[in-house]
This record gives sequence, structure tokens and C-alpha cells, in this order.
Amino acid sequence: MRVLIIEDDKKTASFVRKAMQVEGFAVDVCHDGETGLAAAGVTPFDAIVLDIMLPGRDGLSVLKQLRRQGISTPVLLLSARGEVEERVEGLNAGADDYLPKPFVIAELAARVKALGRRGGESRASILRVADLTLDTTTRLAERGGAPIDLTVREYRLLEFLMRNPGRICGRMAILEKVWDYSFDPGSNLVDVNIMRLREKIDAGAERKLLRTVRGLGYLITDSP
Amino acid sequence: MSAALLAMGLLSYWEFVVEPRRAQLRPAGPKTEEAEENTLADLGELLLWCGLPALALALGGGWWLTRKATEPVAALTRAAERVNEHNLREQLSRTGNGDELDRLTEVFNHMTERLDDSFQRIREFTLHASHELKTPLTVMHGELETWLGQENLATPDRQRLESELDEVQRLTTIVDGLTLLTKAGAGLVRLAREPVPLDELVREAAGDAQSLARPRRVTVQLGTCDPITVLGDRHRLRQLLLNLCDNAVKYAEEGGQVNLELLPANGAVEVVISNTGPGITPAVLARVFEPFFRGDASHSQRIEGCGLGLSIARWIAEAHQGTLEIHSEPGKLTTARARLPVASSGAVGP
Repeated sequence: MRVLIIEDDKKTASFVRKAMQVEGFAVDVCHDGETGLAAAGVTPFDAIVLDIMLPGRDGLSVLKQLRRQGISTPVLLLSARGEVEERVEGLNAGADDYLPKPFVIAELAARVKALGRRGGESRASILRVADLTLDTTTRLAERGGAPIDLTVREYRLLEFLMRNPGRICGRMAILEKVWDYSFDPGSNLVDVNIMRLREKIDAGAERKLLRTVRGLGYLITDSP
Repeated sequence: MSAALLAMGLLSYWEFVVEPRRAQLRPAGPKTEEAEENTLADLGELLLWCGLPALALALGGGWWLTRKATEPVAALTRAAERVNEHNLREQLSRTGNGDELDRLTEVFNHMTERLDDSFQRIREFTLHASHELKTPLTVMHGELETWLGQENLATPDRQRLESELDEVQRLTTIVDGLTLLTKAGAGLVRLAREPVPLDELVREAAGDAQSLARPRRVTVQLGTCDPITVLGDRHRLRQLLLNLCDNAVKYAEEGGQVNLELLPANGAVEVVISNTGPGITPAVLARVFEPFFRGDASHSQRIEGCGLGLSIARWIAEAHQGTLEIHSEPGKLTTARARLPVASSGAVGP
């Protein structure tokens, strides 16, 4: 998979590049809009990470121009402002995803990967991590055959985590997918719900599946 | 001018009504009783046909002239009322005759021009401030994360890096909050205006409050919550309710109680969220909406938060033409009331 990063801040571009390379992607970096636009016109990329605030031609204008030229490569917008209206504007202009700065690199990598696959996260109807199963049609969760009683939020939270097994899900992504917030409303909702979910699925079990990666997010994994 | 006309009216009243009446009271000399009676009747007629119309004319004319003289002032008032951050570039048309009102219009136009400049500067400031602050935060976050990704990191090092990552996130929340409040204060945040079922949002908030309350063994109760629609921004209204619930849970005593209610209130609707607990002293209550202000209780009880929640909540209520008030009976109950106008059936639409 080949990814283009258009980001003017050299340091940010550098660790994003490293993270993408760790994922096994081939990475090209441009530091301004015009060069980025030219590069995207020449090479067929699988995904583009595009910063909104760029010197000269800004990200939104680059995005609009790409779409006008008929280039439909999936684009993930990065923004320092992280405002609702900017996100809406970006998605309207043809972006496929949006991430406010500062972001969790692991999350950026996961999202770019999903964009490249285009299918996004797994669409299976029965999700399984070790002996934990979640049937998304009946909405039933079981650990080792014993049913787990979940609230609507806890169900959505578990589903989101289980659709991304072994991958760190950042607070922002959880707020977006589970609570439908495109900004941080300023509350520890995510933490308390994770705590409760952990009590329900991991209490008494020898193998703990729901992990906290402090400062970054949460993940469900089978590996020790 | 109107005073002069009023004076004229009074003068004519005097001349036609009072003066003749006085004349008739004067001793009439050789006149006979009959003649005197005739004069009296004549005078009565004169009074009726000349005095009253003159008075009416004077009053009507006075009113008309007053209106005409103050019309430009009224126009200026209407224009001033219409002014908001989006139309500051619109200039009022001037008569150009150089009188006081024309001069006032000119001053008014200059004022809106200067305001427009200030708004422009605030827009640019918030744009640049958030960009300038977020870029280093992004770099710090990214580098800390990269460090933490190393397998062979010693535990104390890992803990130190994790703790720094927490601080970066705290700083990010503060920067976000400040940017929002700066823009909101300048009237620069666009809000959606769509029909929102407030009762659903309150029910959802009660559910979220419940999950926030569980670790502190606080009980959450949802009272009256009948279907009602308001016009507004769904996400910001959710944020308002969540902020209030978050506060209520935080400031309730361990094992205390939080109550939520949605009550109709005379063309408006009130979300009432109350919590038991130590309450807020009047001195603290007067300042709770100030950004970063945190009462003594929050320091002694180590309550988390960046101190911007209530400022943001109040802005959201006011941006919806509503109000947010907090009352407290120390030692008993603290109540937050968010009052929002109800969507009239005619106004509901895209």
C-alpha cells in the first residue's frame, strides 16, 4: 500500500511517516499543497493524509482540486482546529475521514489502513476474541458461554472494540463511534464505561481481554 | 419643534376658549340680559367650531412633525439592532446633508468598521493560536507515543512518559476549550438550527449520568420528561446536558443523588438538574461561570476538570436564546436550570 502525506510540520510528518512504515506502507511526504497536488496527480496512491493548514494552498483547496480532477483516492484530513464545522466542510469537500490534532499515531495508522482497504472494519455478524463472542444480530455477548448483560452504550463500545481486535482505539475514535460526538465534550464518559465493561467481561476471568494503553486508548486483544 | 407646536396649540386654546369665556364673565355694562345670553351662545359656537379643530390640528401637526424629525433616529436604532458579526460590512446610507443625524450615521458606520476589524483579528487570532499551540502538542504527543511504543522500556520510564502524555492531553482540552470560548465570545461559532427532540437528549444524558455516577455510588433519577422539540444544535445541546450532569455527579456527595427533569415553562422548557451535597456558598456561586474558576470544594475534594465546562454550558444555553442559572442551598441541594425556547409549530423545518 502506498500512502501520500501532505503535512507542513516536518516533525509531525516524520513520525507519521515512521508509523506508516511500521505498518508496512510505502510513504511519500510533501510539505505544501501544490507539491502534494502534483504528486497525487502523478502517482496512484492508496490513501492520502492531508493537513488542512498548509502554507500557500490549504488542505481543503487541495482536496477540492483533487476531486475536480477526478482523483478519488481516499483522503484523511488532519486538523489543528478540530472544529465541527471544519469537519463537516471537509467531508462535504470529499474527504473520507477526519482526525483532529493531536492524534494517536496508532489510530491514524489504523484509519489509513481502513481507508486503503476501503472495506473498513470487519463486517462479520459474529465477533470473536478468545472466548468472548458478540452476536451483532441478536446483540448478545457471551464470555466462555455465560451471557453478559450490557447497556446500549456498553454494547456499542464492545462492538467497536471487537471490530478492531488488537488495535488501539483512541478516546476520540470511541467518542465518535459510540457517542456520536465529533468533538471532545469534556467528560470521563469513555473511561467510566470502559471500567464498567471491563468488570462485566473480565471479572473472574483468568485472561483479561480489555486493556488500557494509558494516554492512548483501549484495545481488546487475545495476545498476552 | 414639537414643544413649539404644542405651545401654539395651547395658545390657540387660550385665545379661543379661555379668553372669550373670561370676557363673558366681565360685567357687561348696559347690555340686556337677553343680549348677554346671545353672546354666550355665540361664544359657545365659536369655541366648538374654531377652538377644538385648532387644538386638534396643533396636536396632530405636532405629532406628525415629531415623527418626521425623529424618523432618521428610529432608522438608526433599527439598524443598530440589526447589527451582528456577519453584517458589519453593511454600511448605513447617509443623507449627506451634514446635519447632526448625518454625522451620527457616519460615526455609526465607522464604529461598525472598527468592530469588523476586531472580529477579523479575533478570527485570525483563534485560527493561529490553535494552530500554533496544536502543532507542538501534536509533535509532543507523537514523540511520546513513539517512545512508549518501544518494547524494552523500563517501567519507571514508561510511567513518566505516560504521565507526560496525560498532561499533553489535558493541555489539548484546555486549548480546545479556550479556542471555543474565544470564538463563541466573538459570536463566531456557527450552530445548527434544526428541530431537536430535547426529551430524547435528556433521557440519553440521564443514562450517561448513570454511568458517570456508578463509581461514586451516586443514584440518578429521571423525573418528568415529556416529548418536546426545540430548535438548535443537537451536538451542542448534548454537550450542555452532559456538562451539567457531569458537574452534578462530581459535586454530589459519595452515595448522594442526582435528579433530572424536563419541565414545560411558559413558552419555554426547563431542564432541571439537581444534586444533593455540600452545595455552593453565595460567594463561589457568583463566580461559577467564569472560565477556570473553581470553588474551594473542587480543590479539597480533588475534582477533575479544566474549569471551562460551565462557561461552555452557559454559552450553549445563551446561543440558543436560553439561560442557564445555578442555585444552591448549602448543605442540601444544588440546582442547575437551563431554560430554552420551545420551537413553535410554524417554525419547525429545515
